[in-house]
Parts: sequence; structure tokens; C-alpha cells
Amino acid sequence: MTNEPANRRDENALWSIFGYLISGLLFWGGAGWAADHFLETTYLTLVGLLVGAGGALYLIWLRFGRE
Amino acid sequence: MRAFVNLYAAGDGFVPPSTNDFNLPPLTESIPWLTKPVLLVFLSVILVSVFFILSARKAAVVPSKLQFAGESIYAFVRNDLARDVIGHEFMRFVPYLFTLFTFVLTNNIFGIVPFLQFPAMSHVAFPYVLALFSFGVFHYVGIRKKGLGSYLKEIAFMPGVPKPVYILLTPIEIATFFLVRPLTLSLRLFANMFAGHLLLLVFIMGGDYMLHDSHLIMKLFSPFSFAFGIALTFFEFMVQCLQAYIFTLLTALYIAGALADEH
Repeated sequence: MTNEPANRRDENALWSIFGYLISGLLFWGGAGWAADHFLETTYLTLVGLLVGAGGALYLIWLRFGRE
Repeated sequence: MRAFVNLYAAGDGFVPPSTNDFNLPPLTESIPWLTKPVLLVFLSVILVSVFFILSARKAAVVPSKLQFAGESIYAFVRNDLARDVIGHEFMRFVPYLFTLFTFVLTNNIFGIVPFLQFPAMSHVAFPYVLALFSFGVFHYVGIRKKGLGSYLKEIAFMPGVPKPVYILLTPIEIATFFLVRPLTLSLRLFANMFAGHLLLLVFIMGGDYMLHDSHLIMKLFSPFSFAFGIALTFFEFMVQCLQAYIFTLLTALYIAGALADEH
């Protein structure tokens, strides 16, 4: 097949994107949760999750969307 | 017998399968670590070794059926997984990927082989160890190729980004490479095998319970539960092959990523 390498790249990208989204949510969501816990607020988890998802999407765009 | 099949908890009424069905007691009291999953893992190593030694022993230009089967699996891992994903340096990693694929595949398929019927990978410790191997391999390969400093720098700092943005992005990159990758690798395999085994237990045990129930209507509907159990067994076979493939594919992808020059 002629488009085999392209398919492989897409497959590669798929799994990396999944990983980035998870770790974005996990790290910054976790940071927000910890901040909430210590500052006794309730909204920082949400802020953290949004920042994490946004950061992950930005990273995905940097890595796979720029070419 | 309970060391092999730990079903039928005492009591009336249907006892749905639970995580207890995965905690099989040791085969003999004197060796506490020798449980059925451990036995199956050893069995899989023996089976895989014997199969491939036999299939490669009398290698001929016109292959026997056994040689053909062995070579087909080998060619699949070497060409479709290693070569297409990793590129020109792939030959170094074929032994590892091949071992990984056949080992995971055999252990997964044990989940539906009559009398064995237990996927060892539904115990999370086994996938953890396998993921740890893969984790070690792809980081080692990257460090060997680029040196520790520049390998870590390449992971943590995406080029072409204004400096303050690194505060946001670097933790995500590090978490991806050192935490999420090995975790998702192992948990995906574990969860699929665990859920699949549980699903089969529900329908087969449910069918069995309904068959032995005193109500006629329950007896009548019991075959449907069994039929569904059989259909799901075929579905499980597909999932088991797919999960072995994905585990190996992801390992190959991670190795390829560690070897890649550009970021």
C-alpha cells in the first residue's frame, strides 16, 4: 500500500494524543485538587482540569498540527 | 478443586461473580505463591517455547504446516509491528516484541481454552511487570541513543514555545512519558482481560443457575444465557488477540518515539 507510512503516523498520533489528554487532566487537575485541599476552596480543581485539558490540546497541536 | 475453579459460593439465590472469583487459593498449602495464574504463566512459557522450537527445527524451503504457522506469526510481528513502526533499526527489537506478543497472546487465549479458562493478565501484577519491561526498554534505548541529558530535554521541552508556557507544558510531558504511558499500557490489558472474564462468568454462571432453578420459566430461558455466553466467548477471542496486538504495537511505538530524531 502506498499510504502505509501515513496510516502508521496517524496511529502513532492517536495513542500519543490519548496519553497527553490523560496526563494533562491528571497533572493539572491533581494540582488544582491539591490547591483546593490546602486553600479550602472548591473551584480550583475545575480550573486545574480546564488548564490541563487546554495545555494538553496545545501540546497536541504543537506536536501534530504544525507540520 | 477450589484452587482451579472458585465458583459457587455457599448460600441461596444467585451469587453474581465478583473479584473474589479472581482470587484463587494456592494449589497446595505448602507453596503459598503457586496459584493457578502462576501455573498458567509457566505453562504459556513452555507452550510458546516448544511450539516455536518445533516449528523452526526442521526449517525447509517448502515449509511444513507447523513451520508455516510459526513463520506467519514471526513475520507478522517482524514486518507489521517492528519494521513498519520502528523503521530501519527494527531488527534489534524483534526478539523482545516477538516474545511479548506471543506471551501475552497465549496467556490471553488461556481465558477461553476449556479447563484452563483463566487469563493471567486479569491479575494486574502481570501487566504491571510487562509494562515495566517495556518502560525500561524504551527509555534505555532513548538514553543510549541521545544521552541522558538531551533525551530528557527532548521529552520535557518542546521546541518553539515561549518560555513561560513550559510551566504549563513540561509537567504534562513528563507525566505522559513516565507515568501515563506505563500505566495505560498495563491497565488497558488488565481491564480488558478482567472485564472479559467477568462477562463470561456472568452469562455462564447465570445460565447454570437458571437451569437448576425450580421455576420452569427460568429453565426455559437458561439456554439463551448459555448461547450469549458462547457468542461472547468468540467476542472475547477477538478482544484477547487485539489486546496482545495493541500491547506490542504500543511498545513498538514508544521505542520508535525514543529513537526518533526530530520531535
